[in-house]
Amino acid sequence: MSLRDHIDGLEGGHDSTGDPAFDREKAIALAVFLVPGMTLFGIFSVGPIVYSAVGSFFSWDAFTMQSFVGLDNWFRTFRDPLIVHWENIRQYRFPMGALTQNLLWVVLHVPISTLLGLGMALLFADLRGRRILRSMVFLGFTVPTIVIGLVLLFVYDPQAGVFNELLRVVGQGQLVRNWTQSPQVAIYALVAGGIWVQTGFNMLLYSSALSAIDPSLIESAKVDGAGPYRRFRDIIWPLVKPVTAVVVIMGIIWVMRVFDIVYAAGGTAGGPNHSYSVLGIEVYRAAFEPPIDYGKAMVVALVQLLIVAPLAAYIARMN
Amino acid sequence: MDGVSKYFDAGETVANYRLDLEVADGEFLVILGPSGCGKTTALRLIAGLETPSEGDIYFDDECVNRRSPSDRNVAMVFQNYALYPHMSVRENIAYPLKIRGIPPDERDRRIEEVTELLHIEGQVDKHPGELSGGQRQRVALARAIVREPSVFLLDEPLSNLDAKLRQEMRSELKRLQDELDITTIYVTHNQEEAMSMADNVVVMYRGTIQQIAPPEELYARPRTAWVARFIGSPPMNLFRGTRRNGAVDLGDAGTVTLDGVVGSDLEADTAAGDVSLGVRPEDLFISTDPPTDGNAIEGTVDTVEPLGEYALVNVSVNDQLVTVKVSDAGVERDDRVYLTFGDDDAYLYDENGELLTRTASAKTT
Repeated sequence: MSLRDHIDGLEGGHDSTGDPAFDREKAIALAVFLVPGMTLFGIFSVGPIVYSAVGSFFSWDAFTMQSFVGLDNWFRTFRDPLIVHWENIRQYRFPMGALTQNLLWVVLHVPISTLLGLGMALLFADLRGRRILRSMVFLGFTVPTIVIGLVLLFVYDPQAGVFNELLRVVGQGQLVRNWTQSPQVAIYALVAGGIWVQTGFNMLLYSSALSAIDPSLIESAKVDGAGPYRRFRDIIWPLVKPVTAVVVIMGIIWVMRVFDIVYAAGGTAGGPNHSYSVLGIEVYRAAFEPPIDYGKAMVVALVQLLIVAPLAAYIARMN
Repeated sequence: MDGVSKYFDAGETVANYRLDLEVADGEFLVILGPSGCGKTTALRLIAGLETPSEGDIYFDDECVNRRSPSDRNVAMVFQNYALYPHMSVRENIAYPLKIRGIPPDERDRRIEEVTELLHIEGQVDKHPGELSGGQRQRVALARAIVREPSVFLLDEPLSNLDAKLRQEMRSELKRLQDELDITTIYVTHNQEEAMSMADNVVVMYRGTIQQIAPPEELYARPRTAWVARFIGSPPMNLFRGTRRNGAVDLGDAGTVTLDGVVGSDLEADTAAGDVSLGVRPEDLFISTDPPTDGNAIEGTVDTVEPLGEYALVNVSVNDQLVTVKVSDAGVERDDRVYLTFGDDDAYLYDENGELLTRTASAKTT
C-alpha cells in the first residue's frame, strides 16, 4: 500500500466517525508517545509525592504504615525544636531549627550570589581574558556539591586551612578557629561555600543575558549622555530583569534542597548540636537513622516541596 | 551658529587611513562607500564611540578627541534604530532629555513638537516592538532630533526599510534637514540615497577618502577609476587599452584618438602606458555601420536587456563586457556594432586609476 493510499484510508476512516474535530488516529498516536514519559513521571514523581502526602497523615512503625492520625505528624514536626527552635530564634542563637536555618540560607545566599553573579558578568563583559575567568568562576558549579563541602572543610581547617592562614597573614590571628565546627558562625562559613557554587551559575545566566543586549543600545545611551550608572540603571538592568527572576528562583530552589555541603561538613547531625542543619538533613535523619520517624520525614519533605513547587511552577510558566 | 566650520581629521585606525574632512555648519554630508570601507568607523569616530589612534577631531575649533559622546552634543541614529525595547515611544524620546535634567514640562513640550514633526503623535504610548519599521525609524529620528544636537549622525538609517518606505523617508529626511538646518553626517552604501540627499558626498574605499564633491560633480567628474565605476547605475565602462602616439589602442576593437579627450597640452602625445578609457553607458551610442568620422569602438552584441523605459545592451569588446544604455535597442545578439561617444563624455585613467585630464572643448577628429 502506497503512502497516498494510506492517507486516503485514514481520511476515509476519519470521515466515517462523523466528528471532524476528533482525529482518533492522532489521539492514539499521542497516547502511545506519551505512555513512556508519563509512566516514568508517574512512578518517580507523582507517586512518591502522593504517597508522602497521604503518609504524612498516618503513624508509622519504621517503614510500615499504621493508623490514621490526622495532623498529628504535622503538629509534632512544627513543635520539634530541631525544625523550628522558637526560643533560640528569639535570642538569635544557633541552633534555631532546620527550617529557620534553611530560610537563613535563602536570605543570605540568594541575594549575595545574585549580586555577585551580576557583578562578575558585568565585570567580565568586556575584559581581556574574560573566557578564562568566566570558566574559572563557573568551575565551582560543575564540581559535585559533596566535594565542595569537603573542600570547605579543608579551607576552614584550623591548622592547614587557607582561610585561617589568610586571617593570620592579615594579622587577625585571634579569629582563627575551626569554622565549620563553631556553632555560632559555622552556618555563615557554609553559606559562603554555597555562594561560591551558585555565583558561577548566576554569572553564566547573566553573561548570556548581557551578551543578548544589542551593543548599539548601550552606545545609543552613551550618545544620549548616560554615564555608566545611568546606563546600568536605565538600560542594562531592565533588560536583564527576567533573568534575575530565574536566578533568584533557581537560587531559592537550590538552597531549599541543599544537603551535600551541610552533610559533608557536619554529617547527618547537621553540625555540632544541629547548629547548621537544614531541612534536607532532617528528612534524611528522620527517614534513615534510628529512631526512624517516617511521618516526620514525610512532613519535612512536603514542607520543602510546598516552598519550592510554586517557584518552580512560576519559572516553568515564564515566557 | 554663524558660519563656523568644523574640522574633522580622523587618524589612522584599522578601518580609516588619514581622513581629512571638513564639514560646514548646516551641511548635509553623505559618506558613501561599499560595505567594510570604514565609513561607519568614521562616523563612530565623530560620535566619540571610538577614539582616533592618530590625528585630531575638531568641533568648531575645539579638539574633542578626549570628549565623551554626550559632551560632544551629537545625536546618532543607528542602523537598527537602537530603540530601548523596555521603554514606550515617549520614554524613548524623553530619555536623552531626562539624562540632561530637562524639567518634565519642557520635555513634554519638546516631545509633542517632535512627534508632530515626524507624524508619530499617535504612537507615543506604544512600545517599539509594536511599531512598524518606518515608525521605528521615525522614533529613532525623533529621539535624535529632540535634543537639538549640534551634529546629527545617521548610520545607514534607511537600510532596514522596504523600497517604497525608503523613498518616502529619503525625502522626509531631506525636508527635515532643510527645516532644522542641523549639520548632518549620513553614512550609506546606497548611491541613490547619497546622490539625492547630499550637499556633499564623501566617497570612501578601503578606509581612504576617494573623492569629496557635490553629487553632480561626482557624477560628471569622478576623480578615480574606482569612483567612476562606483557611481552611476549601471556603472561606467572602462575600456582597457594602451596609450600610444596620442591615441588609445584597444587592440582588435580599434583605436581611439585622444585629441579631444585628453588636453594634449598637459601630456605629451608620446606618453605611453596602460590606461583605461571610461565612458558612461548613457553616453555611448550604438550603430551597426562604422561611423565616417570620430572615434568608434568595435564590438559584438552579447545580450539585450529591455527594461521598458530604456534598454541595456551588453556589448562584448575584446572579451570585455560593456554596457550601453539606449532608448531603443534595435540590435540583436551577435550583431557587429560600433560604439561612438562624444569626446566630452570620455575620461582617461592611468594605470593607478587616477583621472588624467579631461578636455574642455568638444573637438571631433
